[in-house]
Amino acid sequence: MNKSTEVLVIGGGVTGCGVLFDLAQRGFKAILVERGALSNATSGRFHGLLHSGGRYAVKDAEAAEECIIENRILRKIMPHCVEDTGGMFVSTPWDPPEHADVFMKSCHAVGIEAEEISVAEALRREPMLNPRIRRVFLVPDGSVETWEACKSLTESAAEYGAETLTYHQVIDLLTRNGKVTGAKVKNIITGEELTLEADLVVNAAGAWGGKLGHIAGCDVTVHAGKGTMVAMNFRMVNTVINRCGPAADGDIIVPIGSVAVIGTTSVKVPDPDSYPIEDWEVKKMMDQGEMMIPDFKKFRPLRAWAGVRPLYQEAAAGADLRNVTRKYALLDHATRDGVEGFVTITGGKWTTYRQMAEHTVDLVCQKLNTQRECKTATTLLKHGETGKLFKLGQRLENLETKQWRGQLVCECEIVTRPQIEGHLKENHTNIINDLRRDLRVGMGPCQGGFCTYRVAGIMHENKKLSAGQANKALGDFLQERWKGAQPILWGQHLRQFQLDEGIYMGLLGLDKLPTALSGQDTGRIAEVETEGYFEVEEAAS
Amino acid sequence: MTRYDTVVIGAGTAGLTTACHLAQSGQKVLVVAKGIGALLLASGSIDVLGFHPADSLTPVKNPAEKLDDFLADRPDHPYNLVGKETLKTGIDQFLQLVNQAGLDYQGDLNRNWMLPSGMGAVHPTCLAPASMVKGDLSTDESMLIVGFNELRDFFPALIAQNINEQKLGVEAGSISLEINIPIAGAMNATPIELAHAFEQDAFRNQVIKAIAAQAKSYDRVGFPAALGIKQHATAVAHLEKQLNRPVFEISSLPPSVPGRRLYEALKAALLKAGGRLIIGSQIVEGTIENGRITQIRMETASRLKAVIANHYVLATGGIFGGGIFADAEGMVTEPIFNLPVAADTNRHHWFEKKFISPTGQPVFNFGVKANSRLQPLNGDSQPVAENLYVAGAVIAGSEWTRGRTGEGIAVATAAAITAQITSQAAKSLR
Repeated sequence: MNKSTEVLVIGGGVTGCGVLFDLAQRGFKAILVERGALSNATSGRFHGLLHSGGRYAVKDAEAAEECIIENRILRKIMPHCVEDTGGMFVSTPWDPPEHADVFMKSCHAVGIEAEEISVAEALRREPMLNPRIRRVFLVPDGSVETWEACKSLTESAAEYGAETLTYHQVIDLLTRNGKVTGAKVKNIITGEELTLEADLVVNAAGAWGGKLGHIAGCDVTVHAGKGTMVAMNFRMVNTVINRCGPAADGDIIVPIGSVAVIGTTSVKVPDPDSYPIEDWEVKKMMDQGEMMIPDFKKFRPLRAWAGVRPLYQEAAAGADLRNVTRKYALLDHATRDGVEGFVTITGGKWTTYRQMAEHTVDLVCQKLNTQRECKTATTLLKHGETGKLFKLGQRLENLETKQWRGQLVCECEIVTRPQIEGHLKENHTNIINDLRRDLRVGMGPCQGGFCTYRVAGIMHENKKLSAGQANKALGDFLQERWKGAQPILWGQHLRQFQLDEGIYMGLLGLDKLPTALSGQDTGRIAEVETEGYFEVEEAAS
Repeated sequence: MTRYDTVVIGAGTAGLTTACHLAQSGQKVLVVAKGIGALLLASGSIDVLGFHPADSLTPVKNPAEKLDDFLADRPDHPYNLVGKETLKTGIDQFLQLVNQAGLDYQGDLNRNWMLPSGMGAVHPTCLAPASMVKGDLSTDESMLIVGFNELRDFFPALIAQNINEQKLGVEAGSISLEINIPIAGAMNATPIELAHAFEQDAFRNQVIKAIAAQAKSYDRVGFPAALGIKQHATAVAHLEKQLNRPVFEISSLPPSVPGRRLYEALKAALLKAGGRLIIGSQIVEGTIENGRITQIRMETASRLKAVIANHYVLATGGIFGGGIFADAEGMVTEPIFNLPVAADTNRHHWFEKKFISPTGQPVFNFGVKANSRLQPLNGDSQPVAENLYVAGAVIAGSEWTRGRTGEGIAVATAAAITAQITSQAAKSLR
């Protein structure tokens, strides 16, 4: 099958989604392709921090300034995705005391309204903080719901006629006379191939951008910088907590949804598709957490994951990626490499996605010889009723006051059957992970122990699936949860997984269904095979 | 202070069965447990050997026949500590125990029942309540599977379709009923709440009316395992009479109603035999002197309280039960007596990449090493204490999910320990 469009965007992270919306709003015909679900890779694998810029203020003033400007804009255009947690930079006994004054001065220099409060006041607001902290600064950090944001961007883009194709992997770029003219893509669920012709192709594939550039014959050096994070089962703070010192591993705790996420490490990996979570990373997160919140380790880690930051550098980078700028790069391959019709946007941060999109589309306008004004900084994005439900308490209130009716399917995260059925109606995949991203199904302490069976049963009934399809959806999701749990599986959480195993194997016999019926003979779709496994083989040697 | 003949720590299948046997033999028995054990989470049936090798997809038809292979292939499995004869004794004793306690369990070691699971997979099991064995999939009688919209843990259409697609020779149909389960908050009814509903005539009549027409096209009718708790027999008889065909139960997600019935029956049998049961108190430590446990200490509201007995049985379960604890550094411990544990301290060796791994997760085999008398062993392979025994999943090698041997380990070790303790008691009387 063939389709043609003006601009083809490759990559469904927040940058690609932002570019798509900006293009559509400026009147371009545009299509976005993403090999997995939206925000499945790097954009969905960070700690959810909406930067105030404080983190970069001392060393990278330019990045810090971009952050604070965009931070203010995002609060206005996607209020349903931003929780105004506020942030604290705390100077612990392990941080250089002189950093604090430098930090404050640097924040003010770039316009970040940092304000010092007393330790007593900080402890009043966040009683679980380490009482040995010496100084505390407030900054306007927040947390963002990345899946909701990408959904809003693509849905808003759709209102202007843009199209989004998830689970479509680029298998080749089309070229004619040294010009990129589109892409050949494959629907990884149905196997169907599609040729997409375009006047211009935007490479927004993030850490995978180098691979895509290579297909086009352009040398794009994007380093994959792995960052590992751990979600704890409890929001021990309601404010983002940053260490007030030079950026290091595990120095940020972000309260998001019903959990608190600590991150991250920063390790260069050769391949963005393969990056094991290592023991020292998890241990470091736990130990660092303890410095900000005593008894941090006594809470239950739920899941560990890693994302790969796209870090752009023209020259080869050493192992220490913290010194590679977090600023983004916009490359016009016509002037850079003599390849027409191809533009790469890479690097940067989640927080600055909109500005990156704006500059990208400015370049698109220039290349297509047209002048159209960007309005994304002042346009409120489309959003449904799911916003503002960051805290479990809000969900519980909706349930208790009967605003939400129907069966409770996921008890940990409070997700009801009507919510799931509504989602199934809008979505075309049989992938329980898609429901998790949108509704948080299976993200709580039991990690899908009970709700996965229920969701599979509901999908089977509502979507008229075959038994085999339902069994496979169930098995795939359990595998997904298992993988994320392994690096932090000990103590009570290990008990939890033996219960889950007892349920799915011992009671339900999922492992003993004939292979063809359980879908175990077919691989899982590509999206779930790309992330970090707890490295089993390596240690076995 | 009361001095007991035997104190059992843990109230799962292993602990309660051991305690009942000993109490019925005339011993003064105390059971202390942190909670009510895993019975409410299990299916209520007694799995002895369902699959061998563990990754086989073909159920074992005759466990007695297959056991020799199993024992040879799995030298690390607790069955090898007690042997086939004791396992057989354990099954016979268990059957006698529960049937005397008013339940109707059926089966023997020479055949497995092939029961439909909550996914419609085949669940091979040795002993099961009469209400479950009527769902056996090795006969060719067709079945109608009945679910309730308000019960979120049972999907009749999925079960029926999985049964049909396996081409087992049984034709399955399904119906989901829009009947209100008369319990507060029933939209989220659990099997326990449905079981309470099934104890009421009016509710059963409603169900019968709703399915009568469709049931006529099938040889038998399967329900979620929730056909009453105390009035279970009455409920089943009523349904069978009115529907005029066999009615059976299918286990699904916890809480398990057959497990609850089993728990209640074992508890009643224990109390009737003069035993005592304390639920909600934790044994935190014990004293070992001259190769004997002299006392164990129980957490109470204000202080630790000593409990003294001639024999002590540790039936606290594996990792899931809390009898074995594994920490972030890779340390694996037995928390009460700090018994030596057979475990790998490298966490990378704990797991398989696949959740549904054909051979199970290695970590769930970690446990206490014991000799054939089920005494825990120290590093020199000598008993830690001559009057301490281990029963059930706390024993090393107890990974049970793939071969389906969980309850078999419990009843076999219960029988072995009972024999040890009663024979010693008889000797000391002489």
